Amino acid sequence: MSILQNIASGLRALFGKKRRDKELDEELHGFLELAVEEKMQHGMNRPDALRAVRLEQGTLALAKEAVRSASWESFLETCWQDVRLAARTLRKNPGLAAAVVFTLALGIGANTSIFTLMDRVMLKPLPVAKPAQLYRLGDNNNCCVMTGPQNGGSFVLYSYPLYEALRDHTPEFSQLVAFSSHLQDLSVRRGGDSAAARPYKGEFVSGNYFEMLGIAASAGRTLAAKDDTAGAAPVAVMSDHTWQTHFGGDPSVIGAAFTINTVPYIVVGVTPPQFYGDTLRSDPPDFWLPLSAHPERWLFGPEPEWLYLIGRLRADVSPAQVQAKLTGELQQWLWATGYPEATPEQRNDKALVEKYRQEINRQHIRLTPAAGGVNQIQTEYTAGLRLLVTLSGLLLLIACANIANLLLAHGSANRLQTAVRLALGAPRRRVIQQMLTESVLLALAGGAAGLYVAHTGTQAILLLAFRGARYIPIDARPSLPVLGFALALSLATAIVFGIAPAWVASRSDPADTLRGAGRSTSDPSSVLQKSLVIVQVAFSIALLIGAGLLTQSLRHLEDQHFGFLTDGRLIVNVAPGLDGYTPDKLDGLYQRLEETLTRIPDVISASLSWYSPLDGNNANERVYIQGKPPDYRWSAPSWDRVGPHYFQTIGTRLLRGRAIDERDVPGAPNVAVINETFASRFFPNEDPIGQRFGMGDESHSGDYEIVGIVEDAKYQDTRGPAYATSFLPLLQTPPGEPVRGWVGAIELHVAGKPENLEPAVRKAIAGVDPNLTVLNIMSFGEQVARHFNQERLIARLTELFGALALVLACVGLYGVTAYAVARRTNEIGIRMALGADRSNVLGLVLRGTLSQIGLGLAIGIPAALAGGRVLASQLYGVNSYDPVILGLAAALLAACAILAASLPARSAARVDPVVALRFE
Amino acid sequence: MADKSSELVQGTLDMLILKTLALEPMHGYGIAVRLEQMSKGVFRLNAGSLFVAIQRLQRDGLIKGEWKPTENNRRAKYYALTDQGRKRLSSETKEWGRQVAAITRILEAS
Repeated sequence: MSILQNIASGLRALFGKKRRDKELDEELHGFLELAVEEKMQHGMNRPDALRAVRLEQGTLALAKEAVRSASWESFLETCWQDVRLAARTLRKNPGLAAAVVFTLALGIGANTSIFTLMDRVMLKPLPVAKPAQLYRLGDNNNCCVMTGPQNGGSFVLYSYPLYEALRDHTPEFSQLVAFSSHLQDLSVRRGGDSAAARPYKGEFVSGNYFEMLGIAASAGRTLAAKDDTAGAAPVAVMSDHTWQTHFGGDPSVIGAAFTINTVPYIVVGVTPPQFYGDTLRSDPPDFWLPLSAHPERWLFGPEPEWLYLIGRLRADVSPAQVQAKLTGELQQWLWATGYPEATPEQRNDKALVEKYRQEINRQHIRLTPAAGGVNQIQTEYTAGLRLLVTLSGLLLLIACANIANLLLAHGSANRLQTAVRLALGAPRRRVIQQMLTESVLLALAGGAAGLYVAHTGTQAILLLAFRGARYIPIDARPSLPVLGFALALSLATAIVFGIAPAWVASRSDPADTLRGAGRSTSDPSSVLQKSLVIVQVAFSIALLIGAGLLTQSLRHLEDQHFGFLTDGRLIVNVAPGLDGYTPDKLDGLYQRLEETLTRIPDVISASLSWYSPLDGNNANERVYIQGKPPDYRWSAPSWDRVGPHYFQTIGTRLLRGRAIDERDVPGAPNVAVINETFASRFFPNEDPIGQRFGMGDESHSGDYEIVGIVEDAKYQDTRGPAYATSFLPLLQTPPGEPVRGWVGAIELHVAGKPENLEPAVRKAIAGVDPNLTVLNIMSFGEQVARHFNQERLIARLTELFGALALVLACVGLYGVTAYAVARRTNEIGIRMALGADRSNVLGLVLRGTLSQIGLGLAIGIPAALAGGRVLASQLYGVNSYDPVILGLAAALLAACAILAASLPARSAARVDPVVALRFE
Repeated sequence: MADKSSELVQGTLDMLILKTLALEPMHGYGIAVRLEQMSKGVFRLNAGSLFVAIQRLQRDGLIKGEWKPTENNRRAKYYALTDQGRKRLSSETKEWGRQVAAITRILEAS
């Protein structure tokens, strides 16, 4: 009750301040008047009485102040006064305010955007029901289709029958779902739409997928178990993003007929807007389709392993127990399916059976928490993000040093004012509070500006990281915790780095300051300032060296000789299989495509292949050389199917023999071209031309005759050497096998900018077959560039951070030097009057600066070398101790720093001794 | 002249003001004068301490003020005890008595 009353009267007092002041005045006046009257009644005259009362009671103002400061609302009042005073002070020093806000905005902005990414990418769970209950069966991201035992025994890809077995025998999962490990290209056309089909991405999922995730449709319904049964009418679920961007949120889409990869589907519903599937990635699925609708039925046999599994674990079971049980089930299953296939001979071979048993005993399932779904970009970007967190932290430290420095200088400049306030009786606490108010005000402004920097920064980083993505399901807006983090960070920065200057300022003896203002040569804060500059220089040189190393590494990666040429090359991705082509029609399609595309003006040559270099695809299979025992020492070599003119179109040099050309059709002798590594690995001391090899098993060793050798080219890994690779004609198959050979890529060598040809190419392809969907079209250079998205992101950000660090260090150095010069004007005047010339003065000022730079470098370079060891694994073609980069970074920093310091130094040298000596 | 009120035990001043107001409502100067008279000149209050205490008592709802004309026709704010204030005075008086008796016993014990 009384607290409420207290607050109420406090608020009344606060808002009715004028009236209350007047009342208090009147009351105190009355009090004094009565005291005076009483004294006069005792015989004093009025002036004497007045003096006596004043002596007894103190002045009216003091009494008023005592009453006012005794109440809590007066604290708010002084705060408000401080804020207004701080705003006034800052308005009078716009340079200081701008520098601090700018510095803070950069420091806070960089950290907030990196933390937003961390939060969104690393920490945020899937937007599904109770994500903490989700567990994934497996701990790596092996992709696509495998057979037999997996990587080091840790299972992650499952065959469909194995999925069924695990699902039915593991009741510890309330639901266990399966989905394809990679997204499928879809060629989609809305029923009754006459336009060409459009490319989309699809994911095949088990019927219980949405039920397990707890995702209800935002319109229509999601997939149900009955949709994923043999003979069920094909249905699909569309993502909200696709619905909104491609179909304008048209409600008639739900229930409408769509043709997907030539099969009629009904779209039964749309997922909620925040849902992006089981994996955080750019361009998530546009459609979810039931596994039973998958066109490639061979995938459903016991051999191909191509599904990822995620389950919802019951609350009452322990993951460790379930993991052990799953491993048992897996081994049992492998034994049960693998062993019956063995021949009686193999079964009698005890050593072989024992080896097989050991192999199976190595296979196991790691049950990993899957609240974030399949960790794909999380795994890819962990190292990069960790580096960025470190770098942005360094940048923040540099920014903090700058702010501390600026505030120190500001505090020293205001020393006279502070001294006057202290001399007039202001308590030290109030002086510190006042200076801290300024810092907090600056912090809030800096923090707000930082949020803006963070938002734009996050968007820019996402665009850099996912170059070429049509849609990134990551929200660039900072989340509430991140906002809180930014606010706390800016306040902490301001308070921690504002307290030292405030303390220094409030500690100075007012008498000393007032007596010798501006005359002293020693300054308690200058040691602190110089140390801060040294720290800044050290951090900056470390960042600059890091930036130099990463940039050089990226340049080496991008400018290396890949074994093909990207200039003037265009890549078009198609998938005739999706558009209803059967193998017998391929030959005609390929011939027409080549003819038509070559006729486009400016096209120098055109060719087709299964996949093109660095488009993410890679096929490898063990090879058997005719007349040689199988050689298991090497990992299986890669292979590709290519059409005529392929090597000349992508700019790979033919070294010997001939390339694949128009002769190499089905029925003609089967030929192959190999690369240098293939040649030297399998034919170290003989001529490969004329030799034969094949794939599958030893009976195929005579399938293909080697007719040519091409230079090595990198198709998958850009850092290591090229893989041993063989190239087969598009449609040649081993004798007795049906003709097949799907193309996925069309390569064009053109004159001029490749992008300019895109419309003509699209038109030409539509001319061949309007139903052939162009999945993708981009320059070869762009395809290669996207391969380096992560390296580029890290390099660019490090460069940016390095540049910012350099700017901040220079601003800091400039500030400290300018401040020192201002303080020493008097001293400089005396020196000049005593005979020092301008170069002496210049030297005097710069000597200090040079020693700070030198010390900073001496600390920073060894630190950078130590840190470079961590970077070494990410570098390509450059050593972490590269002397040129080290030297250049040091020279750049020294040059900028000396430039920054020489501005105030020159103004010091121009000091007129007469003026300087008169200066206060 | 020393300000005797500073020697008052914390909280005692409030009790004394309540006591002076228990007889009849009074303005600030009146309170000071009456306190001085009743203590035979031991407690002399300056305006600052007095009005800080008055503000505190008012905030706590123990007294309330009202502007009224004085005997010589000037305006002054007269303070009066509230019911709450009356209760507080009696409880504090009792407590004070207990404490003084205890202290006295201790001091006379030797």
